Amino acid sequence: MTQLRVDHVSKDFALRGRADVLRVLEDVSLDICEGELIVLLGPSGCGKSTLLNIIAGFLQPTMGQVLHEDIPVSKPDRRRTVVFQDYALFPWMTLEKNVEFGLKAQGIAPAERTRIARSFLALVKLRGFEDHYPYEVSGGMKQRAAIARALAPDPDILLMDEPFGALDAQTRVLLQEELVRIVAATNRTVVFVTHSIDEAVFLADRIVVMSSHPGKIRSIHKVALPRPRTAETRSLPNFINLTQELWDSLKPQWHDEGANAVRSQHST
Amino acid sequence: MGSPRLVGLINAVLLPSPTALFWAASDLLRSGTLFRHVSASIERVLVGFALASAVGLTLGVVLGWFRTLSDFVKPLVEALRPIPPIAWTPLAILWFGVGNAPSYFLVFIGAVFPVFVSTYSAVRNIERTQINAALCLGATPTMLIWDVLIPGALPMIFPGLRIALGVGWMCVVAAELIAAQSGLGYMIQQSRLLLQTQFVLTGMIVIGIIGFVMNAVMTAIERRLVPWQESSKGT
Ligand SMILES: Nc1ncnc2c1ncn2[C@@H]1O[C@H](COP(=O)(O)OP(=O)(O)OP(=O)(O)O)[C@@H](O)[C@H]1O
Ligand SMILES: [Mg+2]
Repeated sequence: MTQLRVDHVSKDFALRGRADVLRVLEDVSLDICEGELIVLLGPSGCGKSTLLNIIAGFLQPTMGQVLHEDIPVSKPDRRRTVVFQDYALFPWMTLEKNVEFGLKAQGIAPAERTRIARSFLALVKLRGFEDHYPYEVSGGMKQRAAIARALAPDPDILLMDEPFGALDAQTRVLLQEELVRIVAATNRTVVFVTHSIDEAVFLADRIVVMSSHPGKIRSIHKVALPRPRTAETRSLPNFINLTQELWDSLKPQWHDEGANAVRSQHST
Repeated sequence: MGSPRLVGLINAVLLPSPTALFWAASDLLRSGTLFRHVSASIERVLVGFALASAVGLTLGVVLGWFRTLSDFVKPLVEALRPIPPIAWTPLAILWFGVGNAPSYFLVFIGAVFPVFVSTYSAVRNIERTQINAALCLGATPTMLIWDVLIPGALPMIFPGLRIALGVGWMCVVAAELIAAQSGLGYMIQQSRLLLQTQFVLTGMIVIGIIGFVMNAVMTAIERRLVPWQESSKGT
């Protein structure tokens, strides 16, 4: 069943000091089903974050609309929570208070909040760090806490914008495996942005490949890999083939676009 | 003219010896005069500072958040800001007579701008993603203000509060020189009229000490309320 529908969405940004606008997204349409893990994959600057921010309700589309269970999205709400690349934890709160934030917003009583927050911190393997401040824990732990914080208010959809982009390679792989486990445990719809092909194939049910200038959906790939996905998944022939296929189809485009981006920067 | 005794007398008036200062201070302490004046001044600075903090914080948060409103109000604030607090003294006396009110007012004028400016820029500088995070977690307006904007701005607000209290302390003394019947400024002014320079100097030293202590107290409060700031500076 379609839970979220991106319906002919375009987005223009006004350019400072210029009359014309920059078209960042053009006619993007996408149906996302309940419980699905969708990965948005594309080169830097193709509008992945913009699309995610429109889905979250942080930005309004210039044309088209986003429907969440048939109701147009007009502002952020707790049924679509976001995990950001730079964590965006509140540095003045302990990890537990961070996770409690969305629960407090719902008016849940303090004792109950604490109980729920602790269970989510346990889910992301942060038991024992409840009273730590974000500056006292590592980047990987911060991101786990951010995931717990986003899950705690029981959202329909988890939106993740390159959540593992700032982490080292090992931590990144570990967290990918954890995310797969957590998503399976909570049966949540996820929209996950990345520009790592590997990460996309490992996580996704469907990969939405985007191209840039303006941002469009270029192709959609179903990932036929069994779940649960584990470390072994990466050595399956299907994994290797799809990764290779995506590489081959994307490389020329990324190369061109890199060159285009440089050229257009020079001309402005 | 020029006789050694007269020079000695003038010097004692212009610049009393440390021993004279010591005895002056102990006189003032024992008679309770010093305590009375100090508590009058402190009470005034605290009241004025509290008013300034309330107004400066509110205005800073509101204008920091509502950009269009700030486009209208900010120029007005910026036009008032360069007027030295002392220049408000005649008006303060006209409006409030003598007593505590003009001192409250002058402390308020001195302290409100540092609080406002630091709060305003602090709120402006809060990371957009943190506000977005709060919004998507369903933050109510109350939570947005008390759990996000204010604590997020606190590390930048605190230096402003500290400066504001310092300026307020200078203003209270200046106000009391002219428009009060008690307080350290008043004590200094009276002693000057009576050529009791030792009391003038004692008053000045006490002003310095209290200013120093207030700053230290504010710094201690800052450390307690903003524990994440100190430790995150390095990273
Ligand atoms: N507020 C804005 N005003 C003007 N242009 C913007 C704005 N936000 C984004 N853009 C432009 O829109 C384009 C897409 O940006 P976006 O952040 O969505 O890309 P992205 O795919 O997330 O890239 P990355 O992988 O680097 O994060 C970029 O060219 C960017 O310069
Ligand atoms: Mg991005």
